[in-house]
Amino acid sequence: MSEVPAAAAAPAMPIEFVRASRWYGPVIALNDVTTTLPPGVTGLLGPNGAGKSTFLKLAAGQLAPSQGEVRILGRPAWGSPEVFHRVGLCPEPDAFWEGLNGMQFLTGLLRLTGYDDAECERRALQALETVALVDAKDRKIGGYSKGMRQRIKIAQAIAHEPEVLLLDEPVSGLDPVNRRRVIDLIKRLGREGRTVVVSSHILYEIEALTRRVLLIHNGRVLAEGDVREIRDLLDEHPHTVALRAKSPRLVARALVDQPHVLSMTFGADGEWLTVQTAKPDELYGALHEPAIAAGVTEMYSPDEDLESVFRYLVAR
Amino acid sequence: MPIYEQAYRKYEAREALRTVRFWPITREALRLILSKRAFLGLLVLGWLPFVGFVIYVWALTQFGQVAEGMTSALPKGGAVFAQFFKWQMLLGLLLTTFGGAGLVANDLRTGAILVYLSRPLTRRDYVIGKLTVLLAINLFVTLAPGLLLYAVAIALAPAHFLKWDLAWLGPAVALQAVVLSLSLSLPALAISSLSRSARVAGLAFFGLLMGLDMVSGIVGAIGRWPATILFSIQACVNALGDALLGAPRDSALPWVYPALVLAAVAAGSLAVLRSRVRAVEIVR
Repeated sequence: MSEVPAAAAAPAMPIEFVRASRWYGPVIALNDVTTTLPPGVTGLLGPNGAGKSTFLKLAAGQLAPSQGEVRILGRPAWGSPEVFHRVGLCPEPDAFWEGLNGMQFLTGLLRLTGYDDAECERRALQALETVALVDAKDRKIGGYSKGMRQRIKIAQAIAHEPEVLLLDEPVSGLDPVNRRRVIDLIKRLGREGRTVVVSSHILYEIEALTRRVLLIHNGRVLAEGDVREIRDLLDEHPHTVALRAKSPRLVARALVDQPHVLSMTFGADGEWLTVQTAKPDELYGALHEPAIAAGVTEMYSPDEDLESVFRYLVAR
Repeated sequence: MPIYEQAYRKYEAREALRTVRFWPITREALRLILSKRAFLGLLVLGWLPFVGFVIYVWALTQFGQVAEGMTSALPKGGAVFAQFFKWQMLLGLLLTTFGGAGLVANDLRTGAILVYLSRPLTRRDYVIGKLTVLLAINLFVTLAPGLLLYAVAIALAPAHFLKWDLAWLGPAVALQAVVLSLSLSLPALAISSLSRSARVAGLAFFGLLMGLDMVSGIVGAIGRWPATILFSIQACVNALGDALLGAPRDSALPWVYPALVLAAVAAGSLAVLRSRVRAVEIVR
């Protein structure tokens, strides 16, 4: 059987990092990252200084990789300005001329993308409508609230309808109503088949957006994929299950002989029992009968959210 | 496996880079600068020397009509234009300071450079776009009035200026206008890229050029050493202008030295811009 070259067999992913590193003098901001980001929303997660912004700037072609390769829409991100007709970037810092109004800001940037004046105006209005800023289009950006500034930044990123969107902390500083609006917008863009990369250091922001995450810490990718898949991969990671029962000691008695149970802790109120296990599936199987006998009323796994996964991976 | 909605249509806009990519940058910056009345006032002021020189040439030609041979009171060759450009140098300096100080500094301060460079254009496009703003301003007060003055001079004193042996004067006027404009615009843009404050950049540019000119003047006066003009960009431009326009030279230094200094300043400015104009500030 003849071998098909990998490049010919599979279409290029929207964003590809191949052993990409970036360092600033002696500081390594991103270290040997190899990953591909498919269409849909991907959360780029990590604490401040983890390398998220460097990751986005490499993808946005604003930095050259010190080593390795970064490709966007099949072309090298660095030195391929033509590809940025199809890419939108929402940077973290406020990036505007305060003296312009919202409409002027958007049309000015759309002109850089190559549209004529009428098309710029049409697209600017459309983008303003999407982020609910039409009423403020003639107001100077200098007078915009934090939420409005964030939304106008998003508007400039989506106004030219890019295939790839790179959003650096897009919901930071937004009030709950605007946060919901922006989250819905990002989800919709992802559902439309665009590749949306959203960076954040706040876990619940990412959780609200997507289950697909890329965890970065100290410039390295700690994990990527569905957050549940990541958890499943971590067999050795002690999985915690907390349960509330009338007689939690009954449950403890039933579990104490199980080899996968690593520890058990009783709550001070005498109602809660926290169990650590190396094999969650076996634990859930073993819990079935004792849970009924002990009158379990609540049961949850506190470490199934992103935060616990992230904490575990960072501490490892 | 995710299943995506089919509503999304592939991006329809062109993919190839346009030939003139810098123009929207220039246009936007010019629009912002020209919206300031004080700056418009300065631009008008930039044409005052032109009016003065037109009157000067007219007055000398009028005398010439009264008394035979008086048109010879007009300086020979392009000395009138060399004098004109010395005035324009000062006005160009003021205009460049007010118009150019914030061109890059403001983008660095607001982070707008991030957004610029996320568009389909290169850093070179960005620099050309900003440089064109300053060149347009400077050429408006050098090239336009310079050529107009040349035309007026020919019209008022054809016997004096409309000669085959002075045919080089028109191109020399244009060339000097370009040299002057570039010599002010490039360092102004480079200094603007070194600061995040337009005020600091403006003061630095004006202070540097005026300071060096003063040093050059003082040291030159004390030591009577002709090479001191090389300390000053203005003096170098003026010396080159004298040579280009065939005017009596203020300095005994060959024109090639000021030309080399100006070329070095331009190269240095471009090097600064190359290292400073980037979307990411690299803090070591």
